[in-house]
Amino acid sequence: MTLSGRVAAELEQIPPSAAISLQVGVDYYLDAIRAVLDIYAAKRDVDVIYITATISYQAISDILKALEIDTSKVHFIDCISHTMMGTSIGGTQVLFVESPTMLENIMLKTEYLLRKSKAKEKLVLLDSVNSLAIHNSNYVLSEFLHIFVSSLRSREVNTLIVTIIEHTTPELNNIVNLVSDSVIRVKEEERGGTA
Amino acid sequence: MAEPEQQRERCKTGIEALDSILYGGIPRSNTILLTGSCGTGKTSLALEFLIHGALEGERSMFVSVTEASEKLLANVIKYDFLDKSLLSSEKLIFIDLPLIYERLGLVKAELSMEEAGILASSIIDLVKELKIKRMVIDSITSIGYKLKTQEKIRDFILKLSKGLSALGCTSLLVSEVQPGTQAYSTFMVEEALADGIILMGNMERRGDLLRTLQVIKMRGTTHSRAKYVLDLTPAGVLLVPLLKGGGGGST
Repeated sequence: MTLSGRVAAELEQIPPSAAISLQVGVDYYLDAIRAVLDIYAAKRDVDVIYITATISYQAISDILKALEIDTSKVHFIDCISHTMMGTSIGGTQVLFVESPTMLENIMLKTEYLLRKSKAKEKLVLLDSVNSLAIHNSNYVLSEFLHIFVSSLRSREVNTLIVTIIEHTTPELNNIVNLVSDSVIRVKEEERGGTA
Repeated sequence: MAEPEQQRERCKTGIEALDSILYGGIPRSNTILLTGSCGTGKTSLALEFLIHGALEGERSMFVSVTEASEKLLANVIKYDFLDKSLLSSEKLIFIDLPLIYERLGLVKAELSMEEAGILASSIIDLVKELKIKRMVIDSITSIGYKLKTQEKIRDFILKLSKGLSALGCTSLLVSEVQPGTQAYSTFMVEEALADGIILMGNMERRGDLLRTLQVIKMRGTTHSRAKYVLDLTPAGVLLVPLLKGGGGGST
Protein backbone atom coordinates (compact mmCIF):
# COMPACT_ATOMS: atom_id res chain seq x y z
CA MET A 1 0.00 0.00 0.00
CA THR A 2 1.29 3.47 -0.83
CA LEU A 3 1.79 6.05 1.88
CA SER A 4 -1.21 8.00 0.62
CA GLY A 5 -3.26 4.81 0.65
CA ARG A 6 -2.24 4.05 4.22
CA VAL A 7 -3.15 7.56 5.39
CA ALA A 8 -6.48 7.33 3.56
CA ALA A 9 -7.15 3.98 5.23
CA GLU A 10 -6.51 5.55 8.63
CA LEU A 11 -8.85 8.40 7.74
CA GLU A 12 -11.53 5.83 6.92
CA GLN A 13 -11.48 4.78 10.56
CA ILE A 14 -12.27 8.21 12.01
CA PRO A 15 -15.71 8.57 13.55
CA PRO A 16 -18.09 11.43 12.66
CA SER A 17 -17.46 14.82 14.29
CA ALA A 18 -13.83 13.97 14.96
CA ALA A 19 -10.87 16.32 14.97
CA ILE A 20 -7.65 14.69 13.79
CA SER A 21 -4.15 16.03 14.12
CA LEU A 22 -2.45 15.24 10.81
CA GLN A 23 1.27 15.46 11.57
CA VAL A 24 3.15 15.50 8.31
CA GLY A 25 6.85 15.25 7.63
CA VAL A 26 7.96 18.05 5.37
CA ASP A 27 8.86 15.65 2.55
CA TYR A 28 5.51 13.93 2.68
CA TYR A 29 3.20 16.90 2.53
CA LEU A 30 1.89 16.12 -0.94
CA ASP A 31 1.40 12.45 -0.08
CA ALA A 32 -0.77 13.51 2.83
CA ILE A 33 -2.79 15.97 0.73
CA ARG A 34 -3.28 13.32 -1.94
CA ALA A 35 -4.48 10.90 0.71
CA VAL A 36 -7.07 13.36 1.97
CA LEU A 37 -8.36 14.76 -1.31
CA ASP A 38 -7.73 12.16 -3.95
CA ILE A 39 -8.37 8.95 -2.06
CA TYR A 40 -10.38 9.55 1.12
CA ALA A 41 -12.63 12.47 0.09
CA ALA A 42 -13.18 11.37 -3.49
CA LYS A 43 -14.07 7.81 -2.47
CA ARG A 44 -16.58 8.89 0.14
CA ASP A 45 -18.04 11.79 -1.84
CA VAL A 46 -17.06 14.24 0.87
CA ASP A 47 -17.21 18.02 0.41
CA VAL A 48 -13.88 19.43 1.52
CA ILE A 49 -13.26 22.93 2.81
CA TYR A 50 -9.56 23.50 2.39
CA ILE A 51 -8.21 26.37 4.49
CA THR A 52 -4.86 27.31 3.06
CA ALA A 53 -2.63 29.54 5.13
CA THR A 54 0.67 28.25 3.80
CA ILE A 55 0.52 28.73 0.06
CA SER A 56 -1.95 30.63 -2.06
CA TYR A 57 -5.03 29.10 -3.63
CA GLN A 58 -3.52 29.66 -7.05
CA ALA A 59 -0.35 27.77 -6.13
CA ILE A 60 -2.06 24.86 -4.39
CA SER A 61 -4.60 24.66 -7.16
CA ASP A 62 -1.81 24.41 -9.77
CA ILE A 63 -0.03 21.74 -7.74
CA LEU A 64 -3.17 19.66 -7.36
CA LYS A 65 -3.88 19.98 -11.05
CA ALA A 66 -0.34 18.82 -11.87
CA LEU A 67 -0.85 15.83 -9.60
CA GLU A 68 -4.15 15.16 -11.39
CA ILE A 69 -6.09 15.38 -8.16
CA ASP A 70 -9.78 16.08 -8.66
CA THR A 71 -10.71 19.29 -6.84
CA SER A 72 -14.28 19.57 -8.05
CA LYS A 73 -15.60 18.98 -4.52
CA VAL A 74 -13.01 21.13 -2.80
CA HIS A 75 -13.71 24.69 -1.74
CA PHE A 76 -10.77 26.80 -0.70
CA ILE A 77 -10.41 29.51 1.89
CA ASP A 78 -7.24 31.40 1.04
CA CYS A 79 -5.78 33.31 3.99
CA ILE A 80 -2.53 34.31 2.41
CA SER A 81 -2.99 35.84 -1.06
CA HIS A 82 -4.21 39.20 0.25
CA THR A 83 -1.27 39.45 2.61
CA MET A 84 1.12 38.76 -0.25
CA MET A 85 -0.68 41.40 -2.32
CA GLY A 86 -1.38 38.52 -4.68
CA THR A 87 -4.35 37.97 -6.87
CA SER A 88 -7.68 37.67 -5.15
CA ILE A 89 -9.63 36.71 -8.24
CA GLY A 90 -10.09 33.00 -8.01
CA GLY A 91 -13.51 32.07 -9.34
CA THR A 92 -16.24 30.19 -7.60
CA GLN A 93 -14.10 27.68 -5.72
CA VAL A 94 -12.31 30.08 -3.43
CA LEU A 95 -13.06 32.66 -0.76
CA PHE A 96 -10.40 35.00 0.50
CA VAL A 97 -9.64 36.05 4.05
CA GLU A 98 -7.69 39.27 4.14
CA SER A 99 -5.09 38.09 6.61
CA PRO A 100 -4.20 34.96 8.59
CA THR A 101 -4.68 37.14 11.68
CA MET A 102 -8.42 37.36 10.95
CA LEU A 103 -9.20 34.02 12.55
CA GLU A 104 -12.84 34.92 13.09
CA ASN A 105 -13.20 35.44 9.35
CA ILE A 106 -11.81 31.96 8.73
CA MET A 107 -14.64 30.66 10.93
CA LEU A 108 -17.18 32.82 9.11
CA LYS A 109 -16.09 31.73 5.63
CA THR A 110 -16.15 28.11 6.78
CA GLU A 111 -19.65 28.58 8.15
CA TYR A 112 -20.75 30.06 4.84
CA LEU A 113 -19.34 27.17 2.84
CA LEU A 114 -20.89 24.62 5.19
CA ARG A 115 -24.26 26.26 4.65
CA LYS A 116 -23.82 26.11 0.91
CA SER A 117 -22.73 22.49 0.89
CA LYS A 118 -25.37 19.92 0.10
CA ALA A 119 -23.09 16.95 0.81
CA LYS A 120 -23.98 14.58 3.59
CA GLU A 121 -20.39 14.34 4.74
CA LYS A 122 -18.13 17.36 5.13
CA LEU A 123 -14.49 17.74 6.01
CA VAL A 124 -12.50 20.82 6.98
CA LEU A 125 -8.78 20.67 6.25
CA LEU A 126 -6.76 23.31 8.09
CA ASP A 127 -3.39 23.67 6.37
CA SER A 128 -1.53 24.52 8.48
CA VAL A 129 -1.41 25.48 12.12
CA ASN A 130 2.30 26.23 11.70
CA SER A 131 1.51 28.99 9.23
CA LEU A 132 -1.22 30.43 11.43
CA ALA A 133 1.25 30.37 14.33
CA ILE A 134 3.57 32.72 12.43
CA HIS A 135 0.89 35.40 12.49
CA ASN A 136 -0.93 34.67 15.78
CA SER A 137 0.07 34.14 19.38
CA ASN A 138 -0.30 30.67 20.85
CA TYR A 139 -2.97 32.04 23.19
CA VAL A 140 -5.28 33.28 20.44
CA LEU A 141 -4.53 30.27 18.26
CA SER A 142 -5.54 27.97 21.09
CA GLU A 143 -8.76 29.94 21.61
CA PHE A 144 -9.49 29.83 17.89
CA LEU A 145 -8.93 26.08 17.58
CA HIS A 146 -11.09 25.36 20.60
CA ILE A 147 -14.05 27.40 19.33
CA PHE A 148 -13.62 26.36 15.71
CA VAL A 149 -13.28 22.63 16.34
CA SER A 150 -16.11 22.62 18.91
CA SER A 151 -18.37 24.38 16.43
CA LEU A 152 -17.51 21.90 13.66
CA ARG A 153 -18.06 18.97 16.00
CA SER A 154 -21.51 20.23 16.87
CA ARG A 155 -22.32 20.20 13.17
CA GLU A 156 -20.93 16.69 12.71
CA VAL A 157 -18.13 17.94 10.50
CA ASN A 158 -14.74 16.23 10.60
CA THR A 159 -11.64 18.39 10.98
CA LEU A 160 -8.10 17.63 9.91
CA ILE A 161 -5.49 19.90 11.45
CA VAL A 162 -2.23 19.81 9.57
CA THR A 163 1.07 20.40 11.34
CA ILE A 164 4.49 20.04 9.75
CA ILE A 165 6.49 17.88 12.14
CA GLU A 166 9.85 19.57 11.62
CA HIS A 167 8.40 23.02 12.24
CA THR A 168 6.21 22.26 15.23
CA THR A 169 7.22 23.26 18.73
CA PRO A 170 6.11 21.15 21.70
CA GLU A 171 3.82 24.00 22.77
CA LEU A 172 2.13 24.10 19.38
CA ASN A 173 1.76 20.34 19.49
CA ASN A 174 0.04 20.63 22.85
CA ILE A 175 -2.37 23.23 21.49
CA VAL A 176 -3.38 20.95 18.62
CA ASN A 177 -3.50 17.81 20.76
CA LEU A 178 -5.83 19.53 23.19
CA VAL A 179 -8.58 19.72 20.55
CA SER A 180 -7.77 16.53 18.66
CA ASP A 181 -9.29 13.10 19.16
CA SER A 182 -6.41 11.26 17.56
CA VAL A 183 -3.21 11.70 15.61
CA ILE A 184 -2.25 10.47 12.16
CA ARG A 185 1.50 10.77 11.78
CA VAL A 186 3.05 10.77 8.32
CA LYS A 187 6.82 10.65 8.57
CA GLU A 188 9.88 9.14 6.98
CA GLU A 189 10.32 5.85 8.86
CA GLU A 190 6.72 4.95 8.13
CA ARG A 191 7.20 5.47 4.41
CA GLY A 192 9.80 2.80 3.84
CA GLY A 193 7.45 -0.10 4.38
CA THR A 194 4.39 1.28 2.67
CA ALA A 195 5.42 3.43 -0.28
CA MET B 1 -45.70 40.09 39.07
CA ALA B 2 -43.55 40.08 35.95
CA GLU B 3 -44.45 37.68 33.17
CA PRO B 4 -42.00 34.77 33.05
CA GLU B 5 -39.67 35.47 30.13
CA GLN B 6 -40.04 32.04 28.56
CA GLN B 7 -43.71 32.80 27.98
CA ARG B 8 -43.02 35.99 26.06
CA GLU B 9 -43.69 35.34 22.39
CA ARG B 10 -40.62 35.72 20.18
CA CYS B 11 -40.17 37.23 16.79
CA LYS B 12 -37.40 35.13 15.27
CA THR B 13 -35.05 37.29 13.28
CA GLY B 14 -34.19 34.27 11.12
CA ILE B 15 -30.53 35.09 11.66
CA GLU B 16 -29.63 31.87 13.42
CA ALA B 17 -26.81 33.19 15.59
CA LEU B 18 -28.69 36.36 16.56
CA ASP B 19 -31.71 34.32 17.63
CA SER B 20 -29.36 32.23 19.71
CA ILE B 21 -27.86 35.38 21.29
CA LEU B 22 -31.42 36.50 22.10
CA TYR B 23 -32.49 33.10 23.44
CA GLY B 24 -35.02 32.62 20.69
CA GLY B 25 -35.51 35.99 19.04
CA ILE B 26 -36.71 39.51 19.72
CA PRO B 27 -39.62 39.62 22.16
CA ARG B 28 -42.66 40.22 19.96
CA SER B 29 -43.81 43.86 19.63
CA ASN B 30 -40.51 45.29 20.86
CA THR B 31 -39.05 48.38 19.21
CA ILE B 32 -35.32 47.93 18.74
CA LEU B 33 -32.64 50.48 18.02
CA LEU B 34 -30.25 48.98 15.47
CA THR B 35 -27.33 51.32 15.73
CA GLY B 36 -23.86 51.72 14.32
CA SER B 37 -21.61 53.76 12.10
CA CYS B 38 -21.59 53.55 8.33
CA GLY B 39 -20.58 50.30 6.65
CA THR B 40 -21.32 48.11 9.63
CA GLY B 41 -24.14 46.13 7.98
CA LYS B 42 -27.21 47.69 9.62
CA THR B 43 -29.32 47.86 6.47
CA SER B 44 -28.38 44.33 5.38
CA LEU B 45 -29.27 42.89 8.78
CA ALA B 46 -32.52 44.83 8.90
CA LEU B 47 -33.50 43.66 5.45
CA GLU B 48 -32.73 40.06 6.31
CA PHE B 49 -34.97 40.36 9.37
CA LEU B 50 -37.82 41.45 7.10
CA ILE B 51 -37.22 38.81 4.43
CA HIS B 52 -37.29 36.00 6.98
CA GLY B 53 -40.49 37.42 8.40
CA ALA B 54 -42.09 37.59 4.98
CA LEU B 55 -40.99 34.04 4.23
CA GLU B 56 -42.73 32.98 7.46
CA GLY B 57 -45.90 34.67 6.28
CA GLU B 58 -45.55 37.85 8.35
CA ARG B 59 -46.13 40.91 6.24
CA SER B 60 -43.04 43.08 6.49
CA MET B 61 -42.36 46.70 5.60
CA PHE B 62 -39.16 48.61 4.96
CA VAL B 63 -39.50 52.38 5.32
CA SER B 64 -36.63 54.02 3.50
CA VAL B 65 -36.01 57.58 4.60
CA THR B 66 -33.03 58.74 2.60
CA GLU B 67 -32.47 56.27 -0.21
CA ALA B 68 -34.96 55.34 -2.91
CA SER B 69 -36.07 51.72 -2.45
CA GLU B 70 -35.03 50.74 -5.97
CA LYS B 71 -31.52 52.00 -5.40
CA LEU B 72 -31.40 50.31 -2.01
CA LEU B 73 -32.43 46.96 -3.47
CA ALA B 74 -29.87 47.31 -6.24
CA ASN B 75 -27.05 48.01 -3.80
CA VAL B 76 -27.86 45.70 -0.94
CA ILE B 77 -26.37 42.21 -0.74
CA LYS B 78 -28.11 39.67 -2.98
CA TYR B 79 -29.53 37.17 -0.54
CA ASP B 80 -30.03 33.65 -1.89
CA PHE B 81 -33.30 33.41 0.01
CA LEU B 82 -34.84 36.63 -1.29
CA ASP B 83 -37.78 35.26 -3.22
CA LYS B 84 -38.88 37.96 -5.65
CA SER B 85 -42.48 36.81 -5.30
CA LEU B 86 -42.43 38.28 -1.78
CA LEU B 87 -42.34 41.69 -3.45
CA SER B 88 -45.02 40.99 -6.05
CA SER B 89 -47.30 39.41 -3.44
CA GLU B 90 -46.65 42.39 -1.14
CA LYS B 91 -45.50 40.20 1.70
CA LEU B 92 -42.44 42.44 1.63
CA ILE B 93 -43.26 46.09 1.09
CA PHE B 94 -40.93 49.02 0.49
CA ILE B 95 -42.09 52.53 1.24
CA ASP B 96 -40.14 55.70 0.52
CA LEU B 97 -40.81 58.11 3.37
CA PRO B 98 -40.29 61.24 1.22
CA LEU B 99 -43.46 60.23 -0.64
CA ILE B 100 -45.35 60.17 2.67
CA TYR B 101 -43.89 63.56 3.58
CA GLU B 102 -45.22 64.89 0.29
CA ARG B 103 -48.68 63.37 0.67
CA LEU B 104 -48.98 64.78 4.19
CA GLY B 105 -47.65 68.15 3.10
CA LEU B 106 -44.70 67.82 5.49
CA VAL B 107 -42.23 69.40 3.12
CA LYS B 108 -40.66 71.95 5.46
CA ALA B 109 -37.08 71.44 6.61
CA GLU B 110 -38.24 71.28 10.23
CA LEU B 111 -41.45 69.67 11.44
CA SER B 112 -43.47 71.03 14.33
CA MET B 113 -44.50 68.93 17.34
CA GLU B 114 -47.95 68.54 15.79
CA GLU B 115 -46.53 67.49 12.43
CA ALA B 116 -44.26 64.96 14.16
CA GLY B 117 -47.41 63.48 15.70
CA ILE B 118 -49.12 63.37 12.30
CA LEU B 119 -46.12 61.55 10.81
CA ALA B 120 -46.07 58.96 13.61
CA SER B 121 -49.84 58.43 13.26
CA SER B 122 -49.53 57.99 9.51
CA ILE B 123 -46.91 55.29 9.89
CA ILE B 124 -49.00 53.53 12.56
CA ASP B 125 -52.09 53.73 10.32
CA LEU B 126 -50.13 52.22 7.47
CA VAL B 127 -48.96 49.36 9.70
CA LYS B 128 -52.55 48.78 10.82
CA GLU B 129 -54.05 48.98 7.34
CA LEU B 130 -51.47 46.67 5.75
CA LYS B 131 -51.37 44.32 8.76
CA ILE B 132 -47.61 44.70 9.07
CA LYS B 133 -45.94 42.47 11.64
CA ARG B 134 -42.34 43.54 11.08
CA MET B 135 -41.10 46.98 10.22
CA VAL B 136 -37.78 48.69 9.65
CA ILE B 137 -37.26 52.45 9.51
CA ASP B 138 -33.93 53.27 7.87
CA SER B 139 -33.05 55.55 9.41
CA ILE B 140 -34.60 57.09 12.49
CA THR B 141 -31.63 59.47 12.52
CA SER B 142 -32.71 61.00 9.22
CA ILE B 143 -36.20 61.58 10.64
CA GLY B 144 -34.53 63.09 13.69
CA TYR B 145 -32.80 65.67 11.50
CA LYS B 146 -36.24 66.80 10.35
CA LEU B 147 -37.53 67.01 13.92
CA LYS B 148 -34.43 68.80 15.24
CA THR B 149 -35.16 68.93 18.98
CA GLN B 150 -34.86 66.17 21.54
CA GLU B 151 -38.42 66.87 22.74
CA LYS B 152 -39.92 66.28 19.30
CA ILE B 153 -37.78 63.21 18.67
CA ARG B 154 -38.72 61.76 22.06
CA ASP B 155 -42.41 62.43 21.41
CA PHE B 156 -42.24 60.92 17.93
CA ILE B 157 -40.49 57.72 19.00
CA LEU B 158 -42.71 57.27 22.05
CA LYS B 159 -45.87 57.62 20.01
CA LEU B 160 -44.54 55.38 17.25
CA SER B 161 -43.30 52.57 19.51
CA LYS B 162 -46.48 52.61 21.58
CA GLY B 163 -48.63 52.39 18.46
CA LEU B 164 -46.54 49.66 16.84
CA SER B 165 -46.43 47.62 20.03
CA ALA B 166 -50.21 47.79 20.35
CA LEU B 167 -50.47 46.35 16.83
CA GLY B 168 -48.05 43.52 17.61
CA CYS B 169 -45.50 44.89 15.19
CA THR B 170 -41.84 44.20 15.94
CA SER B 171 -39.69 47.05 14.68
CA LEU B 172 -36.10 47.94 14.02
CA LEU B 173 -35.23 51.62 14.04
CA VAL B 174 -31.91 52.05 12.28
CA SER B 175 -29.73 54.63 13.94
CA GLU B 176 -26.57 56.15 12.53
CA VAL B 177 -23.74 57.21 14.79
CA GLN B 178 -20.36 58.73 14.04
CA PRO B 179 -17.42 56.31 13.97
CA GLY B 180 -15.60 56.20 17.28
CA THR B 181 -18.46 57.64 19.32
CA GLN B 182 -19.47 56.02 22.60
CA ALA B 183 -23.12 57.02 22.11
CA TYR B 184 -25.80 54.71 20.75
CA SER B 185 -27.58 57.46 18.83
CA THR B 186 -27.12 60.90 17.35
CA PHE B 187 -29.76 62.73 19.39
CA MET B 188 -29.13 60.86 22.66
CA VAL B 189 -32.81 60.11 23.30
CA GLU B 190 -33.43 57.18 20.97
CA GLU B 191 -31.66 54.57 23.12
CA ALA B 192 -33.59 55.42 26.26
CA LEU B 193 -36.93 54.88 24.51
CA ALA B 194 -36.11 51.67 22.67
CA ASP B 195 -36.90 48.24 24.13
CA GLY B 196 -33.59 46.98 22.87
CA ILE B 197 -30.28 48.11 21.44
CA ILE B 198 -28.24 46.14 18.93
CA LEU B 199 -24.91 47.83 18.37
CA MET B 200 -22.99 47.19 15.19
CA GLY B 201 -19.46 48.42 14.76
CA ASN B 202 -16.15 48.28 13.01
CA MET B 203 -13.30 47.07 15.15
CA GLU B 204 -9.75 47.68 14.15
CA ARG B 205 -7.27 45.10 15.36
CA ARG B 206 -3.65 45.08 14.27
CA GLY B 207 -4.63 46.74 11.00
CA ASP B 208 -7.57 44.41 10.30
CA LEU B 209 -11.09 45.83 10.24
CA LEU B 210 -13.75 43.50 11.64
CA ARG B 211 -17.50 44.03 11.59
CA THR B 212 -18.94 43.44 15.05
CA LEU B 213 -22.35 43.05 16.68
CA GLN B 214 -23.31 43.29 20.35
CA VAL B 215 -26.71 43.23 22.00
CA ILE B 216 -26.54 45.96 24.63
CA LYS B 217 -30.08 45.78 25.91
CA MET B 218 -33.21 43.75 25.21
CA ARG B 219 -36.28 44.06 27.38
CA GLY B 220 -38.22 40.87 27.91
CA THR B 221 -35.39 38.40 27.58
CA THR B 222 -32.01 37.50 28.89
CA HIS B 223 -29.35 37.69 26.22
CA SER B 224 -25.66 37.44 25.56
CA ARG B 225 -23.82 40.74 25.97
CA ALA B 226 -20.67 39.45 24.29
CA LYS B 227 -19.25 40.94 21.13
CA TYR B 228 -19.50 38.91 17.93
CA VAL B 229 -17.83 39.24 14.55
CA LEU B 230 -20.12 39.19 11.57
CA ASP B 231 -19.96 38.63 7.86
CA LEU B 232 -22.51 39.67 5.28
CA THR B 233 -22.97 36.80 2.86
CA PRO B 234 -25.56 35.75 0.26
CA ALA B 235 -26.59 33.11 2.83
CA GLY B 236 -27.35 35.88 5.30
CA VAL B 237 -25.65 37.53 8.24
CA LEU B 238 -23.25 35.10 9.90
CA LEU B 239 -21.83 35.59 13.39
CA VAL B 240 -19.01 34.03 15.37
CA PRO B 241 -17.65 34.97 18.81
CA LEU B 242 -14.93 37.60 18.90
CA LEU B 243 -11.70 35.94 20.00
CA LYS B 244 -10.83 37.47 23.35
CA GLY B 245 -7.11 36.99 22.88
CA GLY B 246 -7.15 39.11 19.74
CA GLY B 247 -7.34 42.47 21.54
CA GLY B 248 -8.23 45.62 19.59
CA GLY B 249 -10.66 48.51 19.93
CA SER B 250 -13.80 49.82 18.29
CA THR B 251 -14.09 52.61 15.78
